[in-house]
This record gives sequence, C-alpha cells and structure tokens, in this order.
Amino acid sequence: MIEIKQLAKKFKVENPKKLSEQEKKDPRLKGRFFHSVQNVNFICDTGQVLGLLGPNGAGKTTTLRMLSSALKPDSGSILIDGVDVLANPIVARQKIGFLSGSTGLYGRLSGRENIEYFGKLHGMSKSAIQQKIEELAQLLDLYSFLDRRCENYSTGMKQRVSIARAVVHSPKVVVLDEPTTGLDIMATQTVLEFIRTLKKQQIPVIFSTHHLDEVNELCDTVTVIDEGETKYNGDLHSFRALSNGSLHNSFMTSIEKG
Amino acid sequence: MWLVFQKEIKELLRDRKTLFFMVALPLLLFPLIFGGVAYFSGKAIEKAQSRVLTYAIIGGEYAPTLTTKITESEGLKRYVTKVQSDNVSAITNLVKSEKVDFVLVIPNTFNDDILKIGQNKLTLYLNDAGLNMVQRRLNKIIDNLAESNRDKAFISLGIAEEIQQGLLEPIVIDKISTADKREDLGEKIGGLIPYMIFILCLQGAMLPATDIGAGEKERGTLETLLISPISRNQLVLGKFFTIAFAGVTSAMVTVGSLFVWGVLLSQGMAIELITEFMGAISALDFVLMFAMLIPVVAIFSAVLLSMSIYAKSFKEAQGYMTPLVFIVIIPIILAMLPGIKLEGIYAWVPLMNVALAIKELIKGTMDYMALIPIFLSTTAIAGLLLTFCIYWFNREKVLFR
Repeated sequence: MIEIKQLAKKFKVENPKKLSEQEKKDPRLKGRFFHSVQNVNFICDTGQVLGLLGPNGAGKTTTLRMLSSALKPDSGSILIDGVDVLANPIVARQKIGFLSGSTGLYGRLSGRENIEYFGKLHGMSKSAIQQKIEELAQLLDLYSFLDRRCENYSTGMKQRVSIARAVVHSPKVVVLDEPTTGLDIMATQTVLEFIRTLKKQQIPVIFSTHHLDEVNELCDTVTVIDEGETKYNGDLHSFRALSNGSLHNSFMTSIEKG
Repeated sequence: MWLVFQKEIKELLRDRKTLFFMVALPLLLFPLIFGGVAYFSGKAIEKAQSRVLTYAIIGGEYAPTLTTKITESEGLKRYVTKVQSDNVSAITNLVKSEKVDFVLVIPNTFNDDILKIGQNKLTLYLNDAGLNMVQRRLNKIIDNLAESNRDKAFISLGIAEEIQQGLLEPIVIDKISTADKREDLGEKIGGLIPYMIFILCLQGAMLPATDIGAGEKERGTLETLLISPISRNQLVLGKFFTIAFAGVTSAMVTVGSLFVWGVLLSQGMAIELITEFMGAISALDFVLMFAMLIPVVAIFSAVLLSMSIYAKSFKEAQGYMTPLVFIVIIPIILAMLPGIKLEGIYAWVPLMNVALAIKELIKGTMDYMALIPIFLSTTAIAGLLLTFCIYWFNREKVLFR
C-alpha cells in the first residue's frame, strides 16, 4: 500500500525573466519560489491501479519523482508498505519500480546487460538475475532481440526492455510516469498489458497519463491534480458519475470544482 | 561502486568513436606527424639547396676573381642586366618580378688586396621571406675568396700562423658544462612532457566524461540510475574512477606511442641519445612522476564530472569543457618557460608546481622533500573538488535542470 499525505515541493526560481508567460501568471509562483506541488494526497491499496490525471505542469511528474525518491519533498509524508520513503530512501528504492515515457537505455549495452546492470545495482545474485530475466523475457517476449545492442531497437523493443529493467528486482510498488506518451499503438499495448499483469499479481500501480481511455480500461481509483493540489480522489465509478457525459467531462468538472 | 565502474568501462570500450580518439588516433597520429614533418621539411630543404638560382651581378668588372668564381659554380645561372648600382628601385624590381633570385652589387672600390682597401662591402638583394638557401650558397663561394685574400695579407705582413689565430680571435672561451646530458636535455624537453601528459589526460577524459554525465541525462537513463538503491557517493566514485582511468590510459597510450615511434623513426644516433636519457632516469623518478600525476588526474576528473552532470546535453557539456583546456594550459605553459623554477610563489600554483616538479624529476635535480607539500596540496585540492562533485550530485537543481 502507498500512502501520500500533504506532499509539498517548491523550486527556487533562478532567473524570473526566463519564465514563460504562463508560468508568470501561475498562482504557485510566490516571490523567488515556484511551489510546484502544494498539497497532494492519495492512497493506493494492494492490487489497485491508480490513475494520476492532471493538465501539463500540474505537478504529476514532480509528485512521482518524490514518490520514487529522486526528489526530496519539503513537507508531507510518503509511506510504502509502512516504510517512510523520506527517512529510508535506499530501502524504499528497493520497493519501487519506476518507469517514465522518456526513460532511455544504455545504447551500447545489450538489452540483457541493461537489465543485468540494474539487477546488480539492486544487489541481486547472478542466478537470481538470470532467472528473473528468463521470466520477464517470456512475459514480455524479449527473446528475439535481448542480446542485441539497444541502440538499434525500435521504440516498442526499447519500452519492453525498459519495463523489464524497471521490475527486475520484483518491486512492491510500480510507478509509471506517462509510460505511453510518445509510443506507437503496439508499444502502448505492451505497457497496458504489463499493467494488467501487475494487477493480477496484486502489485499496486500508480501511473500518470493524459489518455482517459487508458484510465477507463485499467484504473480502480483516480486522482486528479491541478496547480499542485489534489482536486479529486475516488474510485473510477464515482469519477465517472461526476458528470453524466464522458470521462473528459468528469475530468473538467473535478478541476473546476476543486 | 565497482559495479558502476565496470559497466561504464564496458560501455566505453564499445564506443568506437571514443576509442578511436583515445587509442587509434594517438597510435597513428604520431608516426604521421613525425614522418610527415620529416619528409616534407627534408624535401623543402633539398629543393632549396639544389634549385638553380638565377642571379645578376652589378659591377662585376670591379671584382673579376669573384665574378669568375660565381660564374663557374654549379647551380647558378647568370642574368645579364644593364641596371646601374645606384638604381635601387630597378634592382628591387628585378627580384620582385622574379627575373632573378638575387642581385649582388659590387662597389667600384672593390679590391682583393685587404691591406689597401680594408673591408669590402657587397650588397645582396633577395626576397628573404620563406625558406631559401641563397646567402648560404653564396657565402660558400665568397668565404673561400675572403679567406685566401686574408691569408695573402697575413703573408705579406709576415705574421706567424699562431699570431694569425690570435688576431682573428684574441680570446677563446672553452666551455665545460657541469650539467650531465640528462639535466641538459631535461631542461630542454622536460617542460614539454608534463604539458603533453596533462593535456592528453584532460582530452582523453573529456569524451567519457561527457558521455557519463550529460549523456545519461540526454538519453534519459540518469533518473533510473538515481533511484536505484546505490548511494550517490558510490555512484559518483564509480563514474569518477572511470573518467580518471580513461584519462590516464589515453595519456599513457599517447606517450607510449610517441616514445615508440620516436625511437623507431629517429633511429641511429637518436636512439642512443634517447635510451641514454631514459636510462639515466631512475625507476624511482618514474614512479614519483606517476604518483604526482594521480592527484592531477583526480582534479581533472572531478571538474569534468561536475561540469558534465550540470550540463543538459552533450553540446552544453562540451561548451563548458572547452574553456577548461585553456585554463589548464596557462600554468603549464608558464612552467615550460625557461628560467621558471620550482621556487617561491610558483611552488604554490596548482598544476604549475606539479608540471615543474615533473620537469625537475626528469632533469634529476628534484629535491624529494619538496615533493611532499606539492603532492599533499594537490591531493587536498583534488579531495575538495571530489567532495564538491559529490555535493553537486546531491543537488536536485543540478540533476533535474
């Protein structure tokens, strides 16, 4: 289970002149600081898939980066299976599998070596890594290209190896930051299939997306963030009920209400 | 840490571009430079020496012996002109229009008898820019005549041969240098060696440094690496050692190639000189030189890594690194200047003191005790920079720009 409470993060503005017009108008800009995330809360239970929605610049990536311990929040708490990520970042990192749409691979290493490297960084034994790679290769159909250099992979191949790499250490939670952005339909399908597999294994998944059809297809609960604050928390059913039209309307309603 | 190091090295070895610049280029570049320079300069000199020169003599009738000698010598072709010796612009024009290579003007006062006239002054017009052997070839002919004229004068004055020597050179200094060959050669080329090694280390470390820092950002692998359960210190150290290793390897390959090709191509005498020179440097001195380089490489690596991780892209990283080369070159060039010794303030200028110490080690005149403060201060700087690099790697502002 993942529990996020009153998460907040501000960034220092180095050069206010460089900000875009939109950023200058943003109410989160206070003096020399841009309060990117101000108050984000959500809970994701075992076996649940949580869809994180919000317009561009709402603070989704910052939130997920804090969750994955790449960024340190200014205040608030993050608990993963009861472990405080802020107090034990290294322990927490072992419990998280993280993947974003822009994740890359080391081009001069083969897919297998990429996965092995992260397995080793997670302190896994050689045999355990081999076993896990076998398992993942079957699940994600990696066999045909696993031992070729990544620089020649297609987008879909890259994404499949990235997925394998993200879960090589059997994480307790999987966090996906816009995992389907920029992918073609086939590659997107691979990612969605993978999320379903995780769900079957009772592993909680948190993923941010702009595609409401993905939310409709996969999510149990929905969290909407806008201007760094949680505007909506609830299950998919009640999210749909926010307006009697499409999920798009529900999304708009949730932002306007908040 | 070694895990990171291993992986970075593996990736580095698979990068053909980097490998080419680090290994193949120095291996092939030096024979090309050496061979090329030797070949073309040899050719040019040969050509200048054997080329047929066209010339004009004005006032040749005043010095018939000299004129005959010049006319008779090989490789010279006379151009007959009616220009008078006082018409300087016309003479200059002859040379400028490339009708002749040189014009020799003999005054009407010319006389082979020194005792009557004293010194004879000839005027030579030529285009002296660029390689030409005109004066040297002319001197060969004229010196011959001058000497025989002088001898005649001595004889007619009845001066004994030993006195003749004394008249020509009243005092001669016999120089005996107490510096052995090593010190002498060390002073001449000793400054060059640290310069080369420093720059090579820096250059060799640069490409992997860009790849390891900015490259990770650009390819989107950094974020994943940062959230893997490895501490930042370990991550930084792994990358730091990779860069340092690449820098040292690249420098060693280049120096080795320079040495091997230098010996191969300069053959014969030079081999003796080089082997004698290298033989005079003790193993201890070599070890000390290498030891002095370690903190220097550490400084380079820490700075390069900090720059690279700050940069958003390859391009930006290279932009930061280029000025670094200039900054590093300054103290080393200063150390190469003759007369600058490991004394006073120079002993405290970072990098420069190491360059000077290496020069002293090559010369064999190093006071070993003086190495300790240099080594310690350089190591302290390296330590500080590495600490900064680790601190830098913990800054969110740097990693997620």
